[in-house]
Amino acid sequence: MWRIISQRLLSLIFVLFSVTFLTFIVSSLAPGDPVLNMMGGRQDPVRYQFLRHMYGLDLPWYQQYFNYLGNLLSGNLGYSFKYPERPVWSLIANGVPVSMQLGLTALTVSVLLGVPAGVLSALWQNTWRDTATMTIMLALYSVPSFVIIPVLWVVDLALYRAGWPSLPVAGWGKPEQLILPVLVLAAANIGFIARLMRSSMLEVMRQDFVRTARAKGAPESIVIRRHVLRNALLPLLTVLGPATAFLVTGAFVVENLFAIPGVGYLAVQSIGQRDYPVIQATTILLALAVVVMNLVTDIGYTLADPRVRAD
Amino acid sequence: MSGKKTLIQLISLLAALSLLLAACGSPAAPAAETSAPLRWSLEGINELPALDPPLAGASQSVGVISLVFEGLVRLDGGLNIAPAGAESWDVKDGGKTFIFHIRKDLKFANGDPVTAEDFAYSLNRAFAPEYANGNAGYYLSNIAGSMEVQQGSAQTISGVKVIDAQTLEIDLLNPSVYFLYQLTFPASFVVSKKAVEANPTAWTDTAYGTGPFMVKEWKHNQSITLVPNPNYWLGKPQISEIDMPFIQDPATALKMYQTGELDIMGTYNFPTDQISAVSSDPAFHQFNQFFVAYIGFNNARPPFDNVKVRQAFAKAVDKATLINKVLEAAVVEADTIIPPGMPGYNADSAKIQAFDAAGAKQLLADAGYPDGKDFPKIALSINNQDPNFPKIAAALQQMWKETLGVEVEINTEELSKFNDDLTATANDPAAAGALDFYISVWGADYPDPQNFVSQQLRTGVGNNNGHYSNAEFDALVDKADVEPNLPSRLPLYQQAETIALTEVGWLPLYYGKANLLINTKVKGLVVTPQGLFPEVDWTKVTVGK
Repeated sequence: MWRIISQRLLSLIFVLFSVTFLTFIVSSLAPGDPVLNMMGGRQDPVRYQFLRHMYGLDLPWYQQYFNYLGNLLSGNLGYSFKYPERPVWSLIANGVPVSMQLGLTALTVSVLLGVPAGVLSALWQNTWRDTATMTIMLALYSVPSFVIIPVLWVVDLALYRAGWPSLPVAGWGKPEQLILPVLVLAAANIGFIARLMRSSMLEVMRQDFVRTARAKGAPESIVIRRHVLRNALLPLLTVLGPATAFLVTGAFVVENLFAIPGVGYLAVQSIGQRDYPVIQATTILLALAVVVMNLVTDIGYTLADPRVRAD
Repeated sequence: MSGKKTLIQLISLLAALSLLLAACGSPAAPAAETSAPLRWSLEGINELPALDPPLAGASQSVGVISLVFEGLVRLDGGLNIAPAGAESWDVKDGGKTFIFHIRKDLKFANGDPVTAEDFAYSLNRAFAPEYANGNAGYYLSNIAGSMEVQQGSAQTISGVKVIDAQTLEIDLLNPSVYFLYQLTFPASFVVSKKAVEANPTAWTDTAYGTGPFMVKEWKHNQSITLVPNPNYWLGKPQISEIDMPFIQDPATALKMYQTGELDIMGTYNFPTDQISAVSSDPAFHQFNQFFVAYIGFNNARPPFDNVKVRQAFAKAVDKATLINKVLEAAVVEADTIIPPGMPGYNADSAKIQAFDAAGAKQLLADAGYPDGKDFPKIALSINNQDPNFPKIAAALQQMWKETLGVEVEINTEELSKFNDDLTATANDPAAAGALDFYISVWGADYPDPQNFVSQQLRTGVGNNNGHYSNAEFDALVDKADVEPNLPSRLPLYQQAETIALTEVGWLPLYYGKANLLINTKVKGLVVTPQGLFPEVDWTKVTVGK
């Protein structure tokens, strides 16, 4: 296993290097000038040249790239163009815990609700209960968050106007402000996990070792818990790894509509503003998270499944 | 270039006005009891872009900065210059030298006295090279020696002189009557050297100045909370606290307002598709802005180098249909360059570009394109940021086709790309990639017609992207810009505006409208008919339970 880890760590360096290069090239090729954005509607050629020079944007692209890499290696992510008072690392550092808290809560809720729904559906296979559960799950999975959110708002507003208990429609910091965004974020995942669990369960239930277990006379509850469920959970691991990686970089729509100070919103906003330092930093963060989580998933898989270890 | 920031600038102006007005005139209020906090959303941002006055650019920053900081002068409800940090001033050398007399009892919020040295320090700091990304250079480069400091060849501005603790002299390169207006923009606001030097990288987290409030807590990426400045020269405001959450999506802010989580929303952005749902609410206010959306033409190459073609395109536009039907009256039809409410607005100019289908056809025929025959292929460029633009462009396309027989292509671009192309057009209007014509916007930096007339259409100015040029126009605005007497100045701008409208330097489309919800329990904030958001004295604003 150590060989796998060291190989992955080596490839991590290569991946990160490629990511910085590609992001850099793509940002340089994209039309749109950060200095013009910075100056707003005020046209002034002298200041324009001065600012380009100040940010090193008048240098050839390869020189800009090497300067950038040099700063990166010394831990300097630079200053945001849009928020001139704020170093990029502080923008990101504020957002990551928020996005993670939101994402982890949502993921936990999805697993806690999605797994039982999938398991029960599999046990009820081809009954009306199975069909009903899977239809609901399909609906949750298919309806995009920007549709669910306004619906929740309308309901919430109606509750508020009727004088009944209602939830805060946006904001961050109080536990009750977490409820609506977590519901929205979890909705799609619950649907996905339930459907995944159901098919995985059904597949395992047809395996020989399950038949053997039953033939031995093991009670059905033991067969399901010890033999089927344990094996059926494995595919979930592969899905949860990357899903966790995206948590750090946040959920754009949900963070935006619920005014949650996470990273997702920052990333997209910075693209519109051509805020290169922030674009680069969020991309590296995402790449880093994906690579690390894939590694963690692989290790987890190896630990959980002796068949993989044997290879 | 006129760009998306103009709306921002406009609102910043409104906010600045409102806040500056706050302090206006009235003597210190008797110590009143504390009222409830004011919850006021900052829409369109997920972090306050800046709180350091020299870095003020975005309207939300200007709004908050103007609550915390103040400068030498401010604007009053009549859009006139009124005293602030300076209780009086003298203008000498025909408008080239300004002597400011600093208020004797002026204090920072922490109680430290404020002297002429502090104002000089703040100006020098605003022009320091590390603040070149701010706006001091744009507003105040007329101060003698300022650009030398910005470019690093001098440490202090030669034109800023401390005569004594209570006297500050500012010398200009060119006489200017709107210099005082330019001082109402945050770039020159006074900051405490002690506060800055104690924590150079994060002093704004607990910023204080000479404005009515000071920062209690800035939760980055989330909200900022202000508390009253006990040493404010007009007295301590009664509001116990101002809580300002950053809310990117105005629809979210509206929902928060509707569920009682906000007292004021819509200052910086309002979900226009929700206007009909709230318009009957007594808390809802709508007002016109110093903001004009217009079509600019590339005057440097065919076909729009021909004044008759521009006139034909202007007269073929039925603005009443465009605004009332296509945009459902969410904005106001514009027929002038100087918007209503601004000094110099001239209602008579409105007739110059009036809709006249037959006249438009004739003009195009006179220009050599009868019924649009042989008219070159042209494109109207717009940015995709403003939801109004695609609707307008499609309607205009139809009008020009029906009336003139001309096919116009619509070129929709992302805002950043559009800004690039507009700048390229300004730099080289004859180049192949230059735009033919485009929809753009301008919002006031300050309420002076110079900002709308001279700074947009004079030959060679930075914002004249389409290279409109008329010698008579130039002569009129050059005279007006240095004319110290307002009653003599305004007619000069009006004459210039008449020329520019007749020759279609701009084809104005609409004036902006702003929408705002202010809970009726908030007292002391007034929305004036002009829309110049509240004529406030912050010491008198209260929030009921």
